[in-house]
Amino acid sequence: MPGASLLHYRPWRGRFRGVTLSVLPVARISLWMMFRRKLFWALYALGLLMFFMFFFGQYLLAWAETQTAEETVRIGVVRAEPDKLVHLLREVLKLNGTGYTYRNFFWFQGYMVMIVLAMAGSILVGNDFHFGSLPFYLSKPVGRWHYLLGKCLAVAVFINLMTTVPALILFVQYGLLDSWSYFVESGRLFLGILGYGLLLTVCLSLMLVAAATWLRRTVPMIMTWTTLFLFFPILAKTLVDGFHYDRHWRLLDLWNDAYLLGNACLGMAQDTIRPVEQPAVYEAGLLLGALSLLCLIYLNLRIRAVEIVR
Amino acid sequence: MPDLLEPADPRGRDRALNAPSLQPEPALAPFVVVDQADEPPLLLFDHVTKWYGPVIGVNQITLELRPGITGLVGSNGAGKSTLMRLATGQLRPDLGSVQVLGHDAWQFEAKRHVGYSPDVDNFYEDMSGRQFVETMARLCGFSRLEARRRTEETLQLVGMAQQASRRLRGYSKGMRQRIKVAQALVHDPEVLILDEPLSGIDPVGRMEFLALFRLLAERGKCLLVSSHELEELEKLTDHVAVMAEARIAAVGTLAQIRDLLDDHPLSILIGSDHPRQMAGALLAMPDVLGVDLGEQDSIVVRARNPRRFFPELAGLVLEENYDVHRLETLDDSAHAILGYLLGGRRVEKRG
Repeated sequence: MPGASLLHYRPWRGRFRGVTLSVLPVARISLWMMFRRKLFWALYALGLLMFFMFFFGQYLLAWAETQTAEETVRIGVVRAEPDKLVHLLREVLKLNGTGYTYRNFFWFQGYMVMIVLAMAGSILVGNDFHFGSLPFYLSKPVGRWHYLLGKCLAVAVFINLMTTVPALILFVQYGLLDSWSYFVESGRLFLGILGYGLLLTVCLSLMLVAAATWLRRTVPMIMTWTTLFLFFPILAKTLVDGFHYDRHWRLLDLWNDAYLLGNACLGMAQDTIRPVEQPAVYEAGLLLGALSLLCLIYLNLRIRAVEIVR
Repeated sequence: MPDLLEPADPRGRDRALNAPSLQPEPALAPFVVVDQADEPPLLLFDHVTKWYGPVIGVNQITLELRPGITGLVGSNGAGKSTLMRLATGQLRPDLGSVQVLGHDAWQFEAKRHVGYSPDVDNFYEDMSGRQFVETMARLCGFSRLEARRRTEETLQLVGMAQQASRRLRGYSKGMRQRIKVAQALVHDPEVLILDEPLSGIDPVGRMEFLALFRLLAERGKCLLVSSHELEELEKLTDHVAVMAEARIAAVGTLAQIRDLLDDHPLSILIGSDHPRQMAGALLAMPDVLGVDLGEQDSIVVRARNPRRFFPELAGLVLEENYDVHRLETLDDSAHAILGYLLGGRRVEKRG
């Protein structure tokens, strides 16, 4: 080997970074694996369409409010009365910088978030288990929990890139278009957005990592995720709204549960949610908390059993 | 040798290791100078037991490894991989302890001193070899710059500097082996655990790897090399740990282990012009169990206690002025020794 005589190792006299920081390279590898896939970018671009609708809607509202002296305004080939346009944007679409705006944004983003996460799960975590790459991680100074935290961090980046970050951009945009006092008066909304994002981050990352650890492959992962976040909501809606079952059946809709909690984070009254028949916020919180705890317990068992899972 | 492979006794001691005849002699281990034998071992298994549910992975293993190369051999399912995973902190022993430079192998401090090249070669196929090794270096806690520097040096070391920009997907088995070894070496560990490192490597590459391993051992590293390629392993080291049925059946140099196999006397082929006379004289020696007349003026002697037999044989030849034109031991190869040690169990041999 040409190298045998070229070995220039010298004793490492620097300081190793803390073990906790090993979470970062684990997350970085995961993100790298996702970011290099065109499908991810396509889905992310689709997810951003909703953001752009909100973004330009707010801009349009600000512009329309300056045109109220006019009888009609022209938007491309469409002519509209400014008052009606303002009403549509402010009252119907709720692009008014209130909790409604962000609550709706989070709700609509949910569809794309779920699709991206379904795809990401097996790539981020499942492959390590399926192909037995885990020894490479675990033989380094990386603990099992650091490994999982790294993976959760990567999932958190996805979730927040599609929800919290765009929501914060909308918040800042509205403040800039409206007035600086908006930032002061709507501090609660700012915290609410962060809280909603944190809630989604914790619950979804734990669920995704647990599911991916269990299922490993892309197809079962997508099927399970679709069941959880598409079939269950339809089932819940059918049971409660169609067959008039008890409102607690709506707890099956996990995205709705998160929505209830997010609604509370944003300081919105629960009776503003449609349909009205909803479980209590604490019930949704308990369910999501219990699910997260279960995922945590499962992960704890799983990583202890990693040694025999081959 | 029924006592070599029996289950652990109720007192929880590994009889194979406790049997004085099979205790390793650290001072004779390769690359170990005598005064080092008193130093704490780099890798220590202290009565380690690991269960996989109802199945026992390793059973009451005690093993001390110091600088040098130790081969780890045994049949499939003997517990080699479990032993290696215990050493790399991927498994936690149910009983006993595994220590690397005094640290519990399960702890991060220990992992900084251990490099592991597993037998699996499933990486992130979209990564280049360079990216993979650098990523592993970052996981070790190096800064980006240091990780890059070390990556380049290590790739150079394993002869992959030129191909490191290619994606892992396009790598041959041998190239994957080199990358695996590179990632194990990237943080310059004191203890190297190599699981089948020679598998899939071409003959030239093998020679290069053997040279590299020897170099590392000479620099005070402790290498534990598992391999089914006994001939290659023999070229690399004669210090082996033999595993069977989840236990260490024997540890030491091949010669030491061979000496201790009393039930299997050493077979020695002697070519002489006077085979019958010589056979008669040999039969009078206390360590000679039997002599067979072979073909072409040769005899096959079955002798115990080779350390005593060979000097006596030399004395006999000189005294009687026998003309010996051939002297060859027939069953002291690693393969033969393993065959004896493992009894009826199949000794894996690939390649």
